[in-house]
Amino acid sequence: MHTLLIGWVIFGGVFQSEPLPFEVQSVSMITSEQFAALTAPDALPEATTDVVAPETPEPQEAAPELPEPVEAPPPPPQPEAAEEVVEDAPSAPPEDTAILLPETNDDPTPQDSERVAPEVVTPPDPEAAPDEVEQEAVTEDQSADRPAEEQEATAPEEATTEIVTEAEEPSGRLTSSLRPPQNRPAPPASVDQEVPPEEVPAAEEPAASDTDDAVRAALEGAAEPDVPTGPPLSAGEKDALRVAVSSCWNVGSLSSEALRTTVVVDVAMNQDGTPQTGSIRMASFSGGSESAARQAFEAARRAIIRCGARGFDLPVEKYGQWQEIEMTFNPEGMRLR
Amino acid sequence: MILRLIFFCFMAFAASAAWAQQGPLRIEITEGVIEPLPFAVPDFVAETGDAGQLGRDIARVIAADLTGTGLFRELPASAFISQVTDFGAQVQYADWKAINAQALITGAVATQGDRITVKFRLFDVFSGAPLGDGVQFGGTREGWRRMAHKVADAVYSRITGEGGYFDSRVVFVSESGPKGDRRKRLAIMDYDGANVLYLTGSESIVLAPRFSPNGDRVLYTSYETGSPRVYVLDVGSVNRRVLESGVGTMSFAPRFAPDGSRIVFSVSEGANTDIYEMDISSGQMGRLTNTPAIETAPSYSPDGSQIVFESDRSGNQQLYVMPANGGEPRRISFGEGRYGTPVWSPRGDLIAFTKQSKGRFHIGVMRTDGSEERLLTASFLDESPSWAPNGRVIMFNRETQGAQGRSSLYSVDITGRNLRPVSTPEGGSDPSWGPLQN
Repeated sequence: MHTLLIGWVIFGGVFQSEPLPFEVQSVSMITSEQFAALTAPDALPEATTDVVAPETPEPQEAAPELPEPVEAPPPPPQPEAAEEVVEDAPSAPPEDTAILLPETNDDPTPQDSERVAPEVVTPPDPEAAPDEVEQEAVTEDQSADRPAEEQEATAPEEATTEIVTEAEEPSGRLTSSLRPPQNRPAPPASVDQEVPPEEVPAAEEPAASDTDDAVRAALEGAAEPDVPTGPPLSAGEKDALRVAVSSCWNVGSLSSEALRTTVVVDVAMNQDGTPQTGSIRMASFSGGSESAARQAFEAARRAIIRCGARGFDLPVEKYGQWQEIEMTFNPEGMRLR
Repeated sequence: MILRLIFFCFMAFAASAAWAQQGPLRIEITEGVIEPLPFAVPDFVAETGDAGQLGRDIARVIAADLTGTGLFRELPASAFISQVTDFGAQVQYADWKAINAQALITGAVATQGDRITVKFRLFDVFSGAPLGDGVQFGGTREGWRRMAHKVADAVYSRITGEGGYFDSRVVFVSESGPKGDRRKRLAIMDYDGANVLYLTGSESIVLAPRFSPNGDRVLYTSYETGSPRVYVLDVGSVNRRVLESGVGTMSFAPRFAPDGSRIVFSVSEGANTDIYEMDISSGQMGRLTNTPAIETAPSYSPDGSQIVFESDRSGNQQLYVMPANGGEPRRISFGEGRYGTPVWSPRGDLIAFTKQSKGRFHIGVMRTDGSEERLLTASFLDESPSWAPNGRVIMFNRETQGAQGRSSLYSVDITGRNLRPVSTPEGGSDPSWGPLQN
C-alpha cells in the first residue's frame, strides 16, 4: 500500500497527459473556374527594370590619343629612387627574395571534393547516379515471377568533411570512409522499389477492405483519431532522422548572415514518413535578420522535402510520436567548416 | 497478490501516459552538407524571330556566372525532361524534381530594333513555387551580357541572401612581354574577363589602379614623369590629371575614401614613407602618420571611420588600424611572417591581406581585430587582393616562378574554395574590383 502511495506521489503529477495538440484549418468550397484561376500561371513579371545601355566608356575613341603599345617606344629606365620605393612597397617584393623561394607548383590545387558532408564519402561507382540513397542497379529479370522495375544504380556523391584551402593541410579527421566503398550487399527487395511511387496507396487513403472499413467505422466513432502512439522514439531512431535530414541540408549557398541564423521549422508528417509539404513553416528564428532567416528556412525546407520524398525511416507504430516534428536547424558548426 | 496486480496496472497506466504525445517531436540538426546547388537554366525563349541566338547566349552567361561562384552546379540540357517553349506556361515541377534541379530559371527575350527585353522567373522546384517575382530588363542589343549578369545577380541574391557581383567591372594592369621588359597598361573589363578595354598606353609603367566607390574614376600610380605620381582618371572620358603631393616627393598606393571625395595614399620623402589624405577637389593634404618607419598601403573601412595599413614600425612588416583622421594605431597582425596590402571588406567584417611566410606568399583574411586569420592561397607569389562588391570573393594576382614567369589574375571565395583563374587576353596584375553597375 505504501508502495502504491509513494508511486502515486512520484508519478501522479508527472504523467498528467494534456490533450493532443491539433491544428484547425477552415476550408471553403470553390468552383472549378475559381480553382483554375488560382492555379493559372502567374501574370507577367511584376517588376520591370530598364537597363540603360552599358555605361562602358568609349576609350577606343579616346585611345587614339594614346600611343599603340606596339608602336610605343620602350619605357625609359626607371630612376634608382623609384626602384627603392617599389622594393619597399609590399606589392613588389625584392627579386632576390623570390629567387630563394623553393620550387613550387603554382597551379591551383583543386579541392578533394566540392562536397563537404558530416562523413567522408569515397568516390562512388562512376555508373551510379548521384543520390542521397545508395541503391544497386536493378535490371529487368524476365525469369522472375514478377519482374522488378528497372532501377538505376545510385550512390551518395563523393564528399570530404571540411574545406581545405590551398594554404592548409587537412586536419586529422577521417580521410576515408568507414563504409564499404560501393556495391554493398543489396538491401532486401522492398515493396517501395518494385512498386512505382504513384501506385503506393497514400497513408491517408487506406486500401479498401472489409477489415479496414470496419476499422474506419470504428475510428469515425471515436472522439479523436486513434493513431498509433507507441513509446517515444529511441535515441537511435532520432539520430537516424537527424542524419537523414542532415544529408540534404545544403548550407553551401547560404550567406554569411544566414549561416549565423538558427531556424526552427515545424512540419507535419504523413504516416508513410513523407513530410506534408504544405505544412512546413518557420516557427521562429534567432541570430540573424528576417531576410537571412528566410534564406535559412528555404534551405531547411528543401532539405526536408528532398530527403523526405521517399519517406523518412520512422517506425510507423510510433506515428503519434512523430506526426508533428519541430526541427531546429543550427548552422553554427557548419560556419566553421 | 492484489497489491502486486494494482501496482502492475498502475505502472502500465504510467507507461501509457508517458507514451502519450507531449507536443511535437523535437530534433536539432547541426550537421549539414556544403555542396553546389543544382540548377537548370533552359535557353531563354525567343519571343521574336531573331532572338533565338540571344536567348541561348544569355542562358549561357547566366549559367557561367552561377557555376563560377562554386555555389551552384548547372544541370546539362541533355538531362532535361521538360522543355520550356513558352515563358508563361506552367512549370512541370515533377520533371525538374526528377533530375534533382533545385532551382529553375526560365526566361524570354524579345527584340525591337536595337532594343532588347529580357525577363525571367526563378522557381524553387522542391517547394513547387516561384522564388520572388518575375523581373524584366530592357536595354540595347550590345548590352545583352549586362542583362544576363543582372539576371544572374538577381538569382544569386534570392537564393543566397547576399548581393551579387556579376554586373561589375574590374580595372587592372594588363601585362605583356618578358619579365625583364614587361609592358604595362591600364585595362578595364567585365568581372568575368569579357569586354576588355585599355585606358592607357604602355609607354610608362603603371601600378595599382583603384576604382572609385561608384566606378566613375580610377586612381593609379604612374612613372610617366620618371618618379611615381598618383593620377586620377575619368573612366568615361579617359581624361586624367596628376594629384600633386609636393615637390621632391613620390606618391603611390592611393585609394579612395568611401565618399569618393578624398583619397588616402603614401608619400615618400627621402627614406621615410608616411600616409597622407587629400581632398581631391581642393588638393589639400593632411598627414596621418609620422614615424621613421615605412607606412603604406592604406585602405578605408566601409564607413570611412578607420584606416588599415601596413607598417614596419615594429621592425617587421605588420598590419595596423588607426582612426581615419590619424591617431594612435593598433597592431592587428601578430602571426609569423610579413603582412601587407591590407584591404577592408565592403561588408566591413574582414580584412584581406598578403602574407609572406616560409618562402611562400598567401592571400588571407582576418577579422578587423586581427582574430580568425585564415590563409586562402599559397604560391610562389600571390598579392594585391581586391574584394568583390558583395565581400564574398577576392581577386588577386599570381605570378609564376622563373624568367618566363607570368602574372595573371585569380579569384577565390573567402572560404578558400573555388580558386580559379580569371581569363584576360594578356597577363594581369593589381586588380581592383569595382562596384555593381546601376
